[in-house]
Amino acid sequence: MKKHKKYLSRITLLVLLLLLVTGCSKSSNSPTKGNEIDNNSVVIAISTEPTTLDPCISWGHGTTPLIQSTLVEYNQDMIFSNDLATDYSISDDGLTWTFTIRNDVTFTDGEPLTASDVAFTFNTAKKGQSSLDLTFMDKAEATSDDTIVFTLNRPTSTFLNTIATTGIVPEHTYNENYGTAPIGSGPYTFVQWNKGEQLMLKANKDYYGTVPSIENVTIVFMTEDAAFAATKAGQVDVALTSATLATADIAGYYLKTVTSLDNRGFTLPVTPDEGKITESGFPYGNNVTCNLEIRQALAYGIDREQIAKVALNGFADPAYSENDGMPWNNPEVIIATDKIYAKKLLTDNGWIDTDNDGIVDKDGLKAEFTCIYPAGDSFRQAVALAASAEAKELGINIIVEGTSWDDISKRMFSDAVLMGWGSSNPYTSYSLYHTDTMLKDDYYNPEGYSNQTVDSYLDVAMKSLTPEEAYENWKKAQWDGTTGTSMKGDCPWVWLVNMHHLYYVREGLDIGNQQLHAHGASMPLLQNLKDWSWEN
Amino acid sequence: MNRRQKLLILTILITLIIVCTYLAGICISEEAIAVDFTNAKLKPSLHHLFGTDWLGRDLFARTMKGLSISITVGVVASAISAIIAVLIGIASAASSKVIDSIINWVIDLVMGVPHLILIILISFACGRGLKGLLIGIAVTHWTSLARLIRAEVLGLRTEHYIAVSRKLGKSNGFILIHHILPHMIPQFIVGLVLMFPHAILHEASVSFLGYGLSPEQPAIGIILSESMKYLSSGMWWLAFFPGLTLVSIVFLFDRLGDNLKSLIDPYSAQE
Repeated sequence: MKKHKKYLSRITLLVLLLLLVTGCSKSSNSPTKGNEIDNNSVVIAISTEPTTLDPCISWGHGTTPLIQSTLVEYNQDMIFSNDLATDYSISDDGLTWTFTIRNDVTFTDGEPLTASDVAFTFNTAKKGQSSLDLTFMDKAEATSDDTIVFTLNRPTSTFLNTIATTGIVPEHTYNENYGTAPIGSGPYTFVQWNKGEQLMLKANKDYYGTVPSIENVTIVFMTEDAAFAATKAGQVDVALTSATLATADIAGYYLKTVTSLDNRGFTLPVTPDEGKITESGFPYGNNVTCNLEIRQALAYGIDREQIAKVALNGFADPAYSENDGMPWNNPEVIIATDKIYAKKLLTDNGWIDTDNDGIVDKDGLKAEFTCIYPAGDSFRQAVALAASAEAKELGINIIVEGTSWDDISKRMFSDAVLMGWGSSNPYTSYSLYHTDTMLKDDYYNPEGYSNQTVDSYLDVAMKSLTPEEAYENWKKAQWDGTTGTSMKGDCPWVWLVNMHHLYYVREGLDIGNQQLHAHGASMPLLQNLKDWSWEN
Repeated sequence: MNRRQKLLILTILITLIIVCTYLAGICISEEAIAVDFTNAKLKPSLHHLFGTDWLGRDLFARTMKGLSISITVGVVASAISAIIAVLIGIASAASSKVIDSIINWVIDLVMGVPHLILIILISFACGRGLKGLLIGIAVTHWTSLARLIRAEVLGLRTEHYIAVSRKLGKSNGFILIHHILPHMIPQFIVGLVLMFPHAILHEASVSFLGYGLSPEQPAIGIILSESMKYLSSGMWWLAFFPGLTLVSIVFLFDRLGDNLKSLIDPYSAQE
């Protein structure tokens, strides 16, 4: 037995040594780019892989579909311009939208793109399991080869935002497998998709707009630490990275910081726990966070700059709403950190530390609640823990607990959640705060927020015929001087930070003028892929 | 000093180390493992023996707390498991052929499914956390000990003194308690202690995979799995020290089991 053991340990040692040797040597057949730069191609490492490339399901929503083209597009300042469309008009009741489109556009298989393709795309997206909310659209009809009429069942000012992210699919080849090998008319054509590994695209030489200067695009899907290692080895040109990793310098690369409205904050249940349950049967309400003074004390007392600087290595900005920096954001939502005011709010409302444990209480109820976040998300973990430390100074105890999304979807109605939103569509504000959306399973309004005045502003904003009129009402919903969804008002959310999206970019590569990124750091990066270029 | 005395001292020493580790983990306050962003990502130093992580938590304190959780899981789950093993082992050997083959079939079944998968499933079904893990580990680790005990009991049943006792009219219960169970004590203790390392490693692996304890609990599996994200940025100490201490504790338990076996097993106790 002893002898046997000796052999075993020797063999183990040998195997370990072999592993060490092979682990250290560089594999020769890997596609290492080394230092020679291919001006015609780019390799991009991101962490989120799309589930499909079908715009009728979810591809491109909120960003841009790359392979397909859209009727309209928007620029960095959220100003819309025509893409496929040449003109559009809205009827006075806001229910009929008529678009005329270019007649010189072809799909990459040579077939022309006509109005019936557009109608087909929207009708298919409405029928199917799409991530686009098209409930407000009755039908889309092609009245001629280049005219399309959308009939809505209620005025929807955000329809243009929806149109801007919906890629047009070819009716003649569309089938259920379209999402794995799509044909489109966008700046890029589809080459190959190895699920779980990489997506390869090629510039569309026949594109009706400016043909992209980089011809071959390879998008590889890997976790942030794997991307970090790949960047160090020089295997990728652009790599998504995180606030915890981005402090390291990598030779030959520069760190591109893109500001975003990808925000993180607490959702705080606004109703007391009365033993009631939601439609899906989950308990809702929280006896601590239902008090406005608790929510506002957190809003005013938590030092956002400090969290951004210390916990997130400076890779974040303070957040004050769901749409900071957007044209429909009300600048009055910004509040200054004021710990004294925060403490005063608590004492004025009877929250006093009677038992000297550092936590204030009122009528025997401690100012203590649980905040859940998806475990494994180190960014949310850092924000939650840092905010919890700040809250403790105020005398509020936030117990931070990481858990699964599955668990969050059950507990978000009664516990605080470290959530995140941020989109280039003002409809998000409607979803977050309208009474119609409260206590649903879709993560938008789990806090059970409802305010008649806010509802009316949101409804008017949706019915507006011009963006200006809509923007005015989106702003009023946030703060009209007396009430609103912002932290000055009803404060159902305590917004904390807008994260920076961080990318290592190879020196010599220009990734263009990145617009304010929406939620999710992977896809927004690619929005302006057609503008990327290598310096010679 | 003879070999037996040396062994005895060594065993006591190991037990002391394990007990001290456990107590140290219990005594470390929540404050010692609190988040402190001003001291984040520090390399090991005299002030922070194992360094600090990206949230500025002291890794030494976290590791000690993690070890004490591991030891708790190891001891409780193994104890339950060993008790199940004794009950089933004796039931199998002492009852009819049919029950014996049913029990054997169940043992084969439990052994046939990889432990890790079974623990993940059970832990998930029981709502994860400490309770789920304990149940998961307890109901998967009894099989080999149950086999051993069954074999022992089968052997004992044919002994002369059992036959004599039966002839004297003693009941089955009396024979079981007075003649069979006392013989099981060495097997029980050694089997129990040798089960600890398995239980601890399984706790760590299941937590590592994200199906065990919640990420706020400073379990070794959690520490190791979190550290994976930061290895590429050069924070080697996040995985190195906690991993090393886990291996040491497992090794100590293993030695303890071996030593106990030498000390109380009738075949070697007289050496």
